[in-house]
Amino acid sequence: MNKPVISVKNVTKAVDARQLLVDVSFDVAEQSLVSLIGPNGAGKSTLVKIILGLDSHYNGSVVIRAGERVQYIPQLTMDDQYQLPMSVYEYISIATNRLYGANQQKVDFEKTLTHVGVATEKLYQSYTSLSGGERQRVAIARALLGNPTILVLDEPLAAVDYASRSGLYELIRHLQQGHKMTVLLVSHDIDSVLPLSDQVLCLNKSLHTDCHPSQFTAEGNQTIHHHC
Amino acid sequence: MELLTYTFVQYAFLGGISMAVLTGILGPFVVQSRQSIASDMFAHVALAGIGAALLVGVSPWWGALPALIIVSTLIWWLLDSGTYSPDALAMFFLSGGLALALAFVHLARDTVFSFENYLFGSILTLTTTDIIAIVASTILVVGIVWFAWYPLLGATQSPRYLVPFRRTPKVVQLLFFWLLAIVVWVGIKTIGGLLIGALLVIPVLTARNWATSFKQLVLLSTIASVLSVSLGLITALYVDLPPSSLIIGITILLFVLQSVARFILQKKGG
Repeated sequence: MNKPVISVKNVTKAVDARQLLVDVSFDVAEQSLVSLIGPNGAGKSTLVKIILGLDSHYNGSVVIRAGERVQYIPQLTMDDQYQLPMSVYEYISIATNRLYGANQQKVDFEKTLTHVGVATEKLYQSYTSLSGGERQRVAIARALLGNPTILVLDEPLAAVDYASRSGLYELIRHLQQGHKMTVLLVSHDIDSVLPLSDQVLCLNKSLHTDCHPSQFTAEGNQTIHHHC
Repeated sequence: MELLTYTFVQYAFLGGISMAVLTGILGPFVVQSRQSIASDMFAHVALAGIGAALLVGVSPWWGALPALIIVSTLIWWLLDSGTYSPDALAMFFLSGGLALALAFVHLARDTVFSFENYLFGSILTLTTTDIIAIVASTILVVGIVWFAWYPLLGATQSPRYLVPFRRTPKVVQLLFFWLLAIVVWVGIKTIGGLLIGALLVIPVLTARNWATSFKQLVLLSTIASVLSVSLGLITALYVDLPPSSLIIGITILLFVLQSVARFILQKKGG
């Protein structure tokens, strides 16, 4: 068996007397789509931050295989009223963060936008004029331009209205297979992610074997949106 | 128009427009990164540098530059450590800078020195050396922003957009603080340490509703800034009021005018 792309071993984190994560261990296999699900306060975001190397105050070990390129798509919010004008082109450029031929960049951007299902003419429109679904797709395009081998997505449907949701998970699965990426998907929406995932990790401070939604809704105050 | 033939007036326009270009270009990055108060913080620290220079017998304005670079690095490091909130740090440096400045100037016992020149600027008394330094600073800052456009755009975004870089934004944020330090340095000589913040922020607020991209925003805020400084200086030639107050007055007037224009356009558009 190949070495796992991400290897999490006995990760425990506590802040003061509060346990956030208790002895979490798992491996993520190459080119698999792994969903990390759990209710609010289960430690999902904490674990993701540890995996990404953004939080180093924990016990245990996290190893990302050498040579992997990680891109992270944080949870989107729609309520940033102070955001200054920014075109979609500029928003995507932040990810590439390098100076190479503007024409080549434009071609790449257009190709990637089409790839994620956003019309290329949106490239020069204001980012704030986009819907939640479009913003999420643009965020995926931005991550793809970093040519990742590992893609980590935090609640990709959180800021997306119900009508735009269909197809977003399928897009993620499609891209994962097409680009031969390893995807770690954080969600509380078990019904949607279950059919797409190669592996489902159920987190509620520690990893559980039973992922049934009722277990989560009973504890968390976040309901699972599988009914309209 | 005869006034325009005087060297001091020409210097005022050259220095003023250079400063307007600087604030117009860097202002959007400042507002975007929610660091509007940083310019004020830097200006107060610069005053301490001016006081220290006076004490050791160096030209006060030049004394402000090392103080700005050192303290902007310190502020960057403190903000990055996340131990203290930005507003608390701001108060620390605002008051601390001013108190130090007061002490240094008192100790220097220089009877000719006037603090007011640095608090409210002295754009009509720029020397050839000042102009060379201001124009060189402008070329340097504009050049760096030109070459580091995308890294700066990324590093001054709100924190949640920063994650994909992980390490680089911290370095770029330091570069951004140094650029801001240079702009404040030029600002204390021209429009004054207490007023430079207005020129960094208000043109951005004037331009933000008329732009669809960041590039447009930078262009429009630079136009608003240059227009304010030029009209302010022209008015100052005929009206007996301090040039800095006229420049900021016109900056605010432009903001009000665009608000009214936008209100009328929205009414028309239903």
